Amino acid sequence: MLHTPWHLSSARFSLDTMASADPLDSALDLLRRLNPKDVKQNVDYLCQLAPALTEELLESVDIPLAVKQCLKTKRDFLCCDYNRDGDSWRSPWSNEFQPPLDDGEGIAPSDRIRKMEVKANEAFDVYRELYFEGGISSVYLWDMDDGFAGCVLLKKAVSPSPKSNGSWDSIHVFDAQDRARTAHYKLTSTVILSLGNEAENLGIMDLSGNMVRQVEQDMAVEDDGSHVANIGKMVEDMELKMRNLLQEVYFGKAKDVVGDLRSIPPLSETNRDRATQREMINSMAR
Amino acid sequence: MASNSAALASFVESTPPGELQDVTKAIKSILADDPSVLQSLAPAFEKYNEEQFTTVKLPGGSEEVIVSSHNSLGGGRYYDVANQSSFAFDHATQRASAVQSHVLEGSQSDLVKSLLKSLYQHTLEHYPKSSLGVYPIENDSAIAVVTVANKYSPNNFWNGRWRSHYIISPSASTLTGLLRVDVHYYEDGNVRLKTSKPVSVTLSSTSTTEISRQIALAEKKYQEDLNRAFGSLSEGAFKALRRQLPITRQKLEWDKISGYRLGQDIGGGRSR
Repeated sequence: MLHTPWHLSSARFSLDTMASADPLDSALDLLRRLNPKDVKQNVDYLCQLAPALTEELLESVDIPLAVKQCLKTKRDFLCCDYNRDGDSWRSPWSNEFQPPLDDGEGIAPSDRIRKMEVKANEAFDVYRELYFEGGISSVYLWDMDDGFAGCVLLKKAVSPSPKSNGSWDSIHVFDAQDRARTAHYKLTSTVILSLGNEAENLGIMDLSGNMVRQVEQDMAVEDDGSHVANIGKMVEDMELKMRNLLQEVYFGKAKDVVGDLRSIPPLSETNRDRATQREMINSMAR
Repeated sequence: MASNSAALASFVESTPPGELQDVTKAIKSILADDPSVLQSLAPAFEKYNEEQFTTVKLPGGSEEVIVSSHNSLGGGRYYDVANQSSFAFDHATQRASAVQSHVLEGSQSDLVKSLLKSLYQHTLEHYPKSSLGVYPIENDSAIAVVTVANKYSPNNFWNGRWRSHYIISPSASTLTGLLRVDVHYYEDGNVRLKTSKPVSVTLSSTSTTEISRQIALAEKKYQEDLNRAFGSLSEGAFKALRRQLPITRQKLEWDKISGYRLGQDIGGGRSR
């Protein structure tokens, strides 16, 4: 995997401005409109309707992360396109593909990159515990011509009461280009957040979706340990920003739109109150 | 292919408020403008428009009227009680044409007109912009009440829809229904709120006043419960998923990350 992850290409962020009706752009536009809760089913449908798009869709569309258990260490790990080879996935804990590949070892990072990958998995395991207090994390790295690239994955699910549930999937894809004493990092982060509530008085309420953000940064590098720390800081800052953003959109914006559609107080009252207020302000200004 | 039309029908069914034309455009592009596609989508469009209570401006009219299964005359024609007219509706383009006079008759027409008048006042008080329909159904044995409020703001990447749907049975003195909200937010992402709340009330009388009062009550109560549910999701599941900061209230010291390792092991190891 020596190519730039598609996550980092600029095309991902210019869907709106594209006038051309390229089938891949159209498929991505469609996925941004249809219910995000059904994204996996919709990707499968799209692959069935347009088989030529299959590879690009599987690589570029983020779906909730699947969990596997590492046969060697018995620890859970997360699966995405970046640790996949055919129908096998590489465990970050054992560095082995499972189920084993028929034709040998599969694509694995070089020794230097694997050492960094081990360190990064240890570091993000700590990060996961401190922020998520549970859940699963996995980091995968791979070699690039002028540096390396990788992804940091985090997943947690909760059901604080029998009638409410939630799940969080973070997918951070980055590349690091080596320069003299610094590296240039490019990070694209997706958080998939699903929340559900069900109660007698409420009926069914489902609030699901994903948000994407991208950032680039130059940071000082002394050794490979600096890379792990730099990526850690970038991911930590990004998740803080995205958590605030998700809070704003899910509980602020969505609620505001409901209030825009329907008003609990009679509109004649609110209009009268507003008119009175305006009058007061005007009379005070005089 | 049968399975392909199932996929396409599911896309149409999942379309957010006000985005049917965008979804149709994308589907056509993905299938390389295969002309048979639009034709195969016709049943899905019809189902979508009737279930979503799609609204349409009649030629020469100013207010939007509703398309639903309750006011369907068959053959792609629908009627509106307040305008005393019927019209042809194109489910693919969502446009109306061929308006004709249509006068409501039958044993329930007085109650329908009286409800229309009373509930119209209710919608004016609680919906900044909405469409209302009241129709006799099932051979005048029941009455359907439909309210839909849309607000589209594609320039700001969001669209929303509120649907109220009631069936009144005068003989059983019951009001049953479903309240639904659908909000789509899609700036640098795709977030969807979908809610659905059944309503079931026994009416003390089948007067216009009682029916209107129960409808107003059910909607007010639901909206208050929904507002509270945003708070409980935010304070409950959302907080339980990820902390804003670690319990130390400080960001990680990544250069000393191996030190944390030790502390964590002492603290009881990892949980799944």
